[in-house]
Amino acid sequence: MEMAGTKSRLTWAVNLAVGFLVLLWIIPTFGLLVSSFRDRDAISTSGWWTALSASEQNVIVRADAPDNARPDGAVWVLTGNVFDSGSGNVTAFGITSREPEAFAPGEVATHARGHQITVEANGDYRITYPEEPSGNRGQRLFVRAESPPSFTLDNYREVMFAEGMGKALLNTLTVTIPATIIPILVAAFAAYALAWMEMPGRALLIAAIVGLLVVPLQVAFIPLLKLHNNIGIGKGYLGIWLAHTGFGLPLAVFLLRNYMAGLPGEIIESARVDGASDFAIFRKIILPLSFPALASFAIFQFLWVWNDLLVAKVFLGTGEDQVVMTGRIVDLLGSRGGDWEILAASAFVSIAVPIAVFFSLQRYLVRGLLAGSVKGG
Amino acid sequence: MKHVFYASAAALALSAGMAQADQHLKFAPGEGAFSWDSFEALKSMDLSGEEISILGPWLGPDKELIESVVHYFEEATGADVEYSGSDSFEQQIVIDAEAGSPPNIAIFPQPGLAADLASKGLLAPLPAETADWIRDNYAAGQSWVDLGTYAGADGAEALYGFFYKVDVKSLVWYVPENFEDAGYDVPQTMEELKALTDQIVADGETPWCIGLGSGGATGWPATDWVEDMMLRINTPEDYDAWTTNELPFDDPKVIAAIEEFGAFARNDDYVSGGAGAVATTDFRDSPQGLFASPPQCYMHRQASFIPTFFPEGTEVGVDADFFYFPAYAEKDLGKPVLGAGTVWAITNDSKGAQAFMEFLKSPIAHEVWMAQKGFLTPHTGVNTEVYTDPTVAKMNGILLNADTFRFDGSDLMPGAIGAGVFWTGMVDYAGGKDAAEVAASIQSTWESIK
Repeated sequence: MEMAGTKSRLTWAVNLAVGFLVLLWIIPTFGLLVSSFRDRDAISTSGWWTALSASEQNVIVRADAPDNARPDGAVWVLTGNVFDSGSGNVTAFGITSREPEAFAPGEVATHARGHQITVEANGDYRITYPEEPSGNRGQRLFVRAESPPSFTLDNYREVMFAEGMGKALLNTLTVTIPATIIPILVAAFAAYALAWMEMPGRALLIAAIVGLLVVPLQVAFIPLLKLHNNIGIGKGYLGIWLAHTGFGLPLAVFLLRNYMAGLPGEIIESARVDGASDFAIFRKIILPLSFPALASFAIFQFLWVWNDLLVAKVFLGTGEDQVVMTGRIVDLLGSRGGDWEILAASAFVSIAVPIAVFFSLQRYLVRGLLAGSVKGG
Repeated sequence: MKHVFYASAAALALSAGMAQADQHLKFAPGEGAFSWDSFEALKSMDLSGEEISILGPWLGPDKELIESVVHYFEEATGADVEYSGSDSFEQQIVIDAEAGSPPNIAIFPQPGLAADLASKGLLAPLPAETADWIRDNYAAGQSWVDLGTYAGADGAEALYGFFYKVDVKSLVWYVPENFEDAGYDVPQTMEELKALTDQIVADGETPWCIGLGSGGATGWPATDWVEDMMLRINTPEDYDAWTTNELPFDDPKVIAAIEEFGAFARNDDYVSGGAGAVATTDFRDSPQGLFASPPQCYMHRQASFIPTFFPEGTEVGVDADFFYFPAYAEKDLGKPVLGAGTVWAITNDSKGAQAFMEFLKSPIAHEVWMAQKGFLTPHTGVNTEVYTDPTVAKMNGILLNADTFRFDGSDLMPGAIGAGVFWTGMVDYAGGKDAAEVAASIQSTWESIK
């Protein structure tokens, strides 16, 4: 009884903790999602959490140019509305930056230069000039207004229909698909050999490959590009496939070898006894059994190559036919960055394909992650 | 093919005016105040079939601007120029140059990096007569020659870099209507600026918006402040010595300049959000305070590029304007101006690359960008009438009338200092660390890399 009670309380604690952690993880992503629907000025002046509800804000509106004032009896009159959309609720207004909330809607404010200004609660304003005014810049009106949450699809429109984005998507696919398949092919062969073929120095070879995992790829850029230039590959798709293959192989071999080494040895032994060659064993037994590990590595490699900008910048040329999507998005951000709204929107645009890949392969992922850790798993 | 098309188009254009060219060129040749004779002169170079690649730091709208200039070169010579921009230009050019696949021409935002590559033998020197041309045709020509002259792999000094497009940094941005509402005047001297700052505080408002945040480069806006202050309390010679470390970083003169910056940035009453917000506010968001209602601040010291980050629809010259960051009247140091610029160098020599550098000398290469936006040039042979934006013309005036022009010091210092500990040191200083302590630690880093 007591044991059971403790257990259920513990379960509650675990559930709560997990719920809390999930929430913690989701908040930044949710904030990014909200930001991706806001315009730049809104992002830089207020937090995304303020965007979800109606808020009172002080805004500066420029009235129509004095040149457009119409004579009305002895005075000149200028009318208009402070809201772009034509609707809203003004709670206070002012005519100088020092006192932006000096007047209640409907009150008459007199400007130092002699003209009179009234803003109504619905946003209509009326400026009366005693003499014919001139100038093409309107009077500034400081308005405190309730504004409803406002969202825009412009950021997504800008990202998705940016010049060259379609081509860049194709370029990214051209890079990603071979750069995912080639290392898997190579690594599967190597992993089988390292797991099941007896040879001298096998343990050393495995240790060397595991050692390669810790080499940062940045140190390889200059020598590798030099090599490509010298042997005539230069900058291009072939070069980047080779580079991604090389950078991905240590992890791929390591992951697949561990998984394959965990497969039951009896099956392989009996196949050998029946006279199967190593290639037949690999193709007919190992490969089908290793599918979870292959799929999980494919997901890793696909995601990493898809999101890559650095390797593409180094190994691909700069022409229209070789710029990948991440490169195009960086272009959109401008020379000095800071266009958060574009960054937020493009984050959601560019994860669309990896998410599709992930969900179609994710049932293998969990099994693959356990690769080699659980016997018979 | 393209060239053949242009040639036949040009023949057709004889009767149809220059309507054909309109589709490719921003401004129709022959119209307006442009120096079209310099454009015609380019046609003597025949570079059809020649491909020229250029790598630079400009992206987005800036990329369109540079491409609009490049089109004139293509139109006149038939060459095929491909410009590509990179946000990680500094790393990419080093990788490409060392690996042996550099572009023909690279556009360096910092002379220090160009000097680095020159010393490794990765840049091609410019023809000898270019130096004379710069002396004759650029305002303060000798200083531009000096900034573009580096030691090569063999140690011999030669001109490698050509400056095209410069920025003025000694500017204070403000909203004229806010000044008018509050009855403030634009200060003409540093004494007046400090008095105005106190005046604004006395009126219960906040005078300055300062933001040092810039991702991995956080702190650089503060280095501009310190450099401007160096030029306002010390001689230009001291400034030059400081950028080469002949004047140590922990010299009292330098510490005084840092403290001059601190007088603004470390006073809670002076800065929007208080001194604690200085280091954490992003430099791109910082100017927003000028346009808030009520204003969160009245002044913002930043280089000529900052209007890009003003709220949408802000018209520079009306909604926002700038004044020269003034000098002390009591100190006899004239009107120093701090600036920066992009230096162009040949990273992969070819006939086309040489011709393109030649093109940068022609007034038309400057005027096409001038007539659009945000382009300043020390070229004295251009027709300033092409400025469509009076504020840019005003900036260029500040540049051409400067008693002293000095290049952004942090760009001249070695990368580990100017793009490293100087930045982080300034963040520490803004956060409350002692100026002498910060200066001493920067100096010790400098000594360790000598």
